[in-house]
Amino acid sequence: MTESLALDAPFWEGARTGELRFQRCTDCGFLRWPAAGVCPECLSRSAVWEAVEPVGTVWSFVIYHRSYSRSAPPPPYLVALVELDCGVRLITTLAGSSADHTVGMRVRARFEEFLDRGVVPVFAAVE
Amino acid sequence: MNPPGAVRGRSAIVAVGNTEQGELPGISADELAVEGLRRTLAQAGIAKGAVNGLITCKSYGGFGIDTAIGRLAGMNPSYSATLDYGTCNFSLHLATAVIEAGLCDVVAIVYGTTQRSQRNTFSTPLGHPDESSVYGFLNVAGPAAMAFRRHMSLHGTTEADLGEVAVSQRRYAVDNPLAIFREPMSLEQYLAEPYLVEPLRRSDLCMISDGAACLIVASRERARDLTDKPVDVLGIAQQTGLRDRQNADQWMRPWIEQVAERIYPAAGISQADVDALYIQDPTSMWVLQMLEYYGFVATGGVGEAFRRGAVGHGGRLPLNSNGGQLSEAYMWGFLHLCEAVRQLRGDAGERQLPGIEVAQYCSTYGFMKAASTVLARSR
Repeated sequence: MTESLALDAPFWEGARTGELRFQRCTDCGFLRWPAAGVCPECLSRSAVWEAVEPVGTVWSFVIYHRSYSRSAPPPPYLVALVELDCGVRLITTLAGSSADHTVGMRVRARFEEFLDRGVVPVFAAVE
Repeated sequence: MNPPGAVRGRSAIVAVGNTEQGELPGISADELAVEGLRRTLAQAGIAKGAVNGLITCKSYGGFGIDTAIGRLAGMNPSYSATLDYGTCNFSLHLATAVIEAGLCDVVAIVYGTTQRSQRNTFSTPLGHPDESSVYGFLNVAGPAAMAFRRHMSLHGTTEADLGEVAVSQRRYAVDNPLAIFREPMSLEQYLAEPYLVEPLRRSDLCMISDGAACLIVASRERARDLTDKPVDVLGIAQQTGLRDRQNADQWMRPWIEQVAERIYPAAGISQADVDALYIQDPTSMWVLQMLEYYGFVATGGVGEAFRRGAVGHGGRLPLNSNGGQLSEAYMWGFLHLCEAVRQLRGDAGERQLPGIEVAQYCSTYGFMKAASTVLARSR
């Protein structure tokens, strides 16, 4: 499922080796996500994939109680936006009970099997 | 010199119209759009030949292209265009711009969709494909629910506060024969609904529907030939957030505030002059956001504003008096403008509000654009 020839392939490959990777512009240094062929700051096309510290803060999270697509996870399922300390905002999911989750919670990525998607980042509260 | 967007009546809406709304099988989206045009022209007594501009809005399934609609409607307008994101305000603003430039002087804005019959489930991730599909982050309900939970966390807003939006709009819809949802709904009933995308419920989200709507916009000179009740476009304002996910707080859409700063100077009015407010509402959360960004209520004060009668049904400032998309129909915001025009002309029937001279419409196109228009009864 996360096998991809698309621009974001190195992100999913990184997850399988336990790393959170994003594109860093080699001209202006801006770290970007979602993956793109152009730096949204300086418009350079030159970038390298770089591993970051996989820690951040929960911006918000929601729980889907219905399925909008056959390819979606079986409901109920949780989706979160995590603001990583490196500046990137990542759509992801959170491990554990949603009753314990809060906006502003500090989280760290684990790399786990997720449905049929293979190994992907899943965030859990920092103890 | 006038501020940006100061149209000041040089364009006016001379007619509005629509088809039935709901599930309309057996007709194509483009035929439906043309039917909306036919009814609008017929009711207003305007000849098709008087229209020399056509602005269409792309609709689900690849329909709504100006070249296809023009062919179907048998028109050779001097000017035509299609907006991928017509969503009403944007189409109206383009119409005023091309009228201002003199490219044409009577513009038909048409939109038709059969997305309910075509079974649009809004199941593809919004915007550019990204990690959303891996985690199942689908439909506008997702980002809106994210924004609402964060708003609750930052400002102490409650689910009952947000519920006031849908409940107020339903009260209007009870008196609107066009509305799909006319059963009365109490706040208790709202709160008893199961979550759809928690913390949002069914009534926080608009239902996909079929239908068409149409507006005829004319230059000041032509408007007087076509109707004795033109509605002036006083001012328009827009702002984009095209950086999308590179914007901090992307789902809070803070750049809407810039439209709020521009719209009142553009229209030459103060906010207190607004007699009726319309806010496009694919979700109730967008109503909450825009009420705050435009300064109609204090941040975190939306529930209180409804409860003390500052806004909403029976309140000092009527809001979405057609029932909005939540209760009336999902016409991508077009029916809000139709309703505003009907209220300003005194044509709103059972729902007619007293003393409506100035109306404001605020809309957004997802996380990409925001726009506002101020309309006034022509003097």
